Amino acid sequence: MNDQFGPRGRVASAADDADRAVLDLVAAGQLDALQELYDKYRTMAYSIALRITADASLAEDVVQDAFLGAWRNAARYVEGKGSVKTWLLSIVHHRAVDAVRRRRPTVELPDREAVPPAAMTLPDIWPEVAGNIDRQEIAAALTSLSDVQREALELAYFGGLTQQEIAIRTGTPLGTVKSRIRLGLLAMRRSLVGGDDGGDSPDAGRGALA
Amino acid sequence: MNERPMSHEQAIDLAAGFVLGALDPADEAAVREHLLTCSLSHDEFADLGGVVGYLAETVEQVEPPPALRDRIMAAAAADLASRGAGAQPAAAPSPAIPFPSAGERAERTARARTSRLGWAMRIAAVVAIVVLGGWNLLLQGQLSNSQAFDRAVAAVIDVGARPGSQTVVLAAQPGSTANGIGAVAPDGSVVMAMRDLPATAGTQVYEAWVIVPEAAPVAVGGFTVGSNGTAAFTTKPVATPPGSTIALTLEPTPGSTAPLGPIVAAGVSAAPKT
Repeated sequence: MNDQFGPRGRVASAADDADRAVLDLVAAGQLDALQELYDKYRTMAYSIALRITADASLAEDVVQDAFLGAWRNAARYVEGKGSVKTWLLSIVHHRAVDAVRRRRPTVELPDREAVPPAAMTLPDIWPEVAGNIDRQEIAAALTSLSDVQREALELAYFGGLTQQEIAIRTGTPLGTVKSRIRLGLLAMRRSLVGGDDGGDSPDAGRGALA
Repeated sequence: MNERPMSHEQAIDLAAGFVLGALDPADEAAVREHLLTCSLSHDEFADLGGVVGYLAETVEQVEPPPALRDRIMAAAAADLASRGAGAQPAAAPSPAIPFPSAGERAERTARARTSRLGWAMRIAAVVAIVVLGGWNLLLQGQLSNSQAFDRAVAAVIDVGARPGSQTVVLAAQPGSTANGIGAVAPDGSVVMAMRDLPATAGTQVYEAWVIVPEAAPVAVGGFTVGSNGTAAFTTKPVATPPGSTIALTLEPTPGSTAPLGPIVAAGVSAAPKT
């Protein structure tokens, strides 16, 4: 895994190691550990859920579902594929997006989910491209995007829209939307890791596939 | 999606949408399937996915209400309790529930009717109370499914944590998937949180029974269930010593004084080990 992700991700920090130790205890069924994890990340989790759902009550349900998902699936967290924080965040994000998609008209809630979709409990995550960066730096990275790139990213990540829905919403061809999202992420990446990462060309990622 | 596996190029083309969670479910599943089975490089996913987490940090930070922690911890505690229960049926597929078979039941019913007139009178009184709605019945059918169940579980934990209470895991019985947990309060009432109950139709009701060893089942209340399959309710208080069986049956009509329908879930009450 490190062969694949090491050069592209960052080295795990002591904070990550501490989180993993806590997650091990969660996996072992230690309620105290779950509470510790919750207290550490509750604000992050609730804030993102609230931003996506724009509904305090729904956001609470999302956070509850997410932490219970983490509680039940802690043993399946895959080390080396991103930090515990990113994993949790990804679970919350998936749950929140799922909640707003269900809330849309004509979508009826299915019966109580017997087996949550894989993405709900075991989202795919990747190592952060850089360490813990403060919010100002992240905000600065966002300003390196064009307006249309930023709009597309926000509609996707915070709006819970699919690329197809963004195309319809903005009256833009699907291919253009996909390109904006991809280039927007790559621009952020460049800004976050600095110019020496080799991600200097928007096609760097694609080039690596050949 | 299985009929038409996604090509590597198609998956790469969807990488940005995938890492942002902006694909429709079919595409997302196809990409995930591809990632599991394709041995080519997927650096594109790592390059793009490693950025996504930072987007979350641009959001205004808001503290969740303190009660959310209690709800989550209560639900996790209940989940932990049901894990223990889930392990038991694996070792012993059908937990020994001292509940009569259909034939025995008819026999016992007849016996009960003749020899336990006082008991029958008491049940009749209970039924009257039930019909009049003079007991604590709480249905939460309008709440979303898991939310309703989680809240019901929290209520069970509240009762189960009190001194002198007992707990009971209501395991699914053959032919049923319904399950849940309950707590027997010191006054003998049972607070239950049930899920995966098929919806009742027509005059059907789920009836709760308390069965003290060597005694006939005592009906302690009935309720209906909507399409969400969950129920939270509190039975009428009756003497329920540790070792009593708590059972739910699906009855054709309300007011059964002896169980007629199939048992959907049952368990034996026990004082918590400390």
